[in-house]
Amino acid sequence: MVLTWRAPVLAALGLVPVALLPRAQTVLVWTVVVAVVCALDALLAASPRRVAVVRETSRSVRLTQAATSTLTLTNGSGRRLRGLVRDAWVPSAGAAVNRHRLDLPDGESRRVRTALLPTRRGDRAADRVTIRTVGPFGVAGRQASLEVPGSVRVLPEFASRRHLPSRLARLREMDGRAAVQVRGEGTEFDSLREYVEGDDVRSIDWRATARRRDVVVRTWRPERDRRVLVVIDTGRTSAARIGEAPRIDASIEAALLLAALAGRAGDRVELVAFDRTARARVAGATGPRLLPALADALAPVGPVLLETDWTALAATVEQRLSQRALVVLLSALDASAVTTGLLPVARRMATRHQVVLASVADPEVVAAAAARGSSAEVYDAAAAARTVLERAAVADVLRRHRVEVVDAGPDELAPRLADTYLALKAAGRL
Amino acid sequence: MSAPAAPAREAVTDPPPRPSPVQGDGTSGRSRLRARWRRARLPLGLLLATAVVVLSVALLPAPSSIVPYAIDNAGPDGARAVAEILRDQGVDVVATTSSAEAAAAPAGTTLAIAPGLPLTPDERGDLADAGADLVLLDAGADLVSRATDGAVGSAYANAPRTTREARCDDADASAAGTATLGGSGLVSDDPDAVLCFPGAADEGAGYAVVRSGDRTVRVLSSADVVSNGALLDAGDAALALRALGHHDRLLWYVPDGGAPAAGTDAGLLPPWVGVVGLELLLVLVVVAIWRGRRTGRLVTEDLPVVVRASETTRGRGRLYRAGGSRGHAAAGLRALTAQRLAERLGVPRTADAGALVDAVARAAELSPDHVVHLLYGPPPTDDQALLLLAHELDILESEVHPL
Repeated sequence: MVLTWRAPVLAALGLVPVALLPRAQTVLVWTVVVAVVCALDALLAASPRRVAVVRETSRSVRLTQAATSTLTLTNGSGRRLRGLVRDAWVPSAGAAVNRHRLDLPDGESRRVRTALLPTRRGDRAADRVTIRTVGPFGVAGRQASLEVPGSVRVLPEFASRRHLPSRLARLREMDGRAAVQVRGEGTEFDSLREYVEGDDVRSIDWRATARRRDVVVRTWRPERDRRVLVVIDTGRTSAARIGEAPRIDASIEAALLLAALAGRAGDRVELVAFDRTARARVAGATGPRLLPALADALAPVGPVLLETDWTALAATVEQRLSQRALVVLLSALDASAVTTGLLPVARRMATRHQVVLASVADPEVVAAAAARGSSAEVYDAAAAARTVLERAAVADVLRRHRVEVVDAGPDELAPRLADTYLALKAAGRL
Repeated sequence: MSAPAAPAREAVTDPPPRPSPVQGDGTSGRSRLRARWRRARLPLGLLLATAVVVLSVALLPAPSSIVPYAIDNAGPDGARAVAEILRDQGVDVVATTSSAEAAAAPAGTTLAIAPGLPLTPDERGDLADAGADLVLLDAGADLVSRATDGAVGSAYANAPRTTREARCDDADASAAGTATLGGSGLVSDDPDAVLCFPGAADEGAGYAVVRSGDRTVRVLSSADVVSNGALLDAGDAALALRALGHHDRLLWYVPDGGAPAAGTDAGLLPPWVGVVGLELLLVLVVVAIWRGRRTGRLVTEDLPVVVRASETTRGRGRLYRAGGSRGHAAAGLRALTAQRLAERLGVPRTADAGALVDAVARAAELSPDHVVHLLYGPPPTDDQALLLLAHELDILESEVHPL
């Protein structure tokens, strides 16, 4: 049984008879009156357990986008239902206004919508639906909380997609579809065509020219159908916060931009999220299905507080890749973690594949290295300098083993990785 | 050139399989009642147990009090023994701490006045005029004088307790024979007053009996005669029991200084205050029930771990500071500057320090000695020197431009 604000008002009204007849019995009688009215009202209220509830939600939504949760309530109680319904969600689902008034005649249905603005990636679950009905006097009523399953999958924000147009333009430049024809090392022979003014004279095919009366040039295009395997490290180092978000969020952003770019460039993109086992896998998705598949697979992936098993990861990579491929490892450039786990594995992998290690650097460390405010800050700066140097040293070791290293802040990592990909593609190193 | 936007993934609101409706929470009135009982069982049980304990404590015989000469005090200075013996002998012994009740003791009963907190003159007057036979135990001179109409006075000598002979013709005193008495002795010029148990010299008597009409006033110079501790001394028990046991009813008054006539503060508040208070209590209970029920439970969030990536670096800085490792700190700063300068000037990583120093000195137009001192000099001796070194390294970096 629940009471409304009218119940205390009713109880307070008892002051009138008490003023007229100031005796303890008056209070007793009024207490009984209040109790009887409340009980009667609760009995006459529609039963919240005889309301059929259906929850429909936006299936998936990108972070920062709004979603809705729609409850359809059908009153099967045989009475007019007046009251309140609460559509409870976890706090990070961002349900601001989730209590709705209800006035539902018997046998009818109503829809109530709760706007959601999720603040975290992943599957955001709905909690119970609470229906509170009040009786005809509006003094008391009944309440029931029903388990109505529902959840919204919140996909990664993919804020780095704003870098995609400029990178695609560069890709087209390389592709030969643009006005400028550039012959690069990493291009493969496409076709022959007649020379037009402005073409690079070095691309004239003299043998073909000799066979024909016109000057003929070769056209080139970048390699296609290369394999790109993106590996996201979800081990303990991915849990560390850089700015406001954990490192894994920046890794996911970079992975999505790279996948979008590589997908457009005609490469086959695969993805594995790995710590000690694979947390997410995407393979075989191409064209317009690629990015939704990646976002869906990465949405529930979170950091796991375990040390990444690099040996098992290498085995997974080898199992997936039968031919030379671009392997992008999105992990942390942490001196101790790299030398003990990643380095031997990356070195072996680099003999068969082109390996890129992309790591989210901490801008706070860089800022701390330049702080000179007080002697305390100088000590911090010295420690930050050490960290920067150690990262640089580790990066050097990796580069010596033919592993490309991309080390950038959370906002720059995605475009820098995309640039590295384009550079490798232009150089034909895929 | 088509817009190269990412494939738009807007909010999808079209789940084709419509979920089946949920009705009820799988409970019935009976199951809810059972669940509620199961939940309330333990607290109710505890409440009941507490009530039983409280009730039994309240109903158990009161523990011995510590008020001297109180008849429920079993200690050496209490009077429980004498009261119990009198009860065994069929005397109805009632204790009181109210002077009004004591003063109202009717004729045909005994009123014993034990020493306690001081009495006001009014109270002393009322008690002296009580209808009952009085037994004054170590009472003040004023009360003794008033109760005996001035027949008995105090000798103002504080005599030690000694065993004395009765030496009078009072039946009680003669029966007792001896008693241990002391205190301020009693004196009298009145022939009606019987003085017994005289002390040495001018110590006065230990016991006086004055009969006026059908009222008898007995005065004992020390109250220890009735105390548990001294009851067995000499003939104390006989004297006390006989003096107190003349009537079937004994009112035992120990002044406690408080409890003036009841009902004086009730008149300050209007009579309806209590009733309105009850009504407001009802309102309070209803408000508590109204606000006490949430609209559904609180929803919890599984929060991620919050560890800043820069935490280890900061920790290391604090370690440097705590240990005063200026050498380590300076070496770190110098190494970073050297690495940046080398990168900027195109000095290979494998080159030795001399090559770097030469390149820097040339680029910054500084003496090589100064550059050596900055980049490879001795560790700073205090925090100020470290701060200075950091600034000088910054200046050096800013002065070096690629050749």
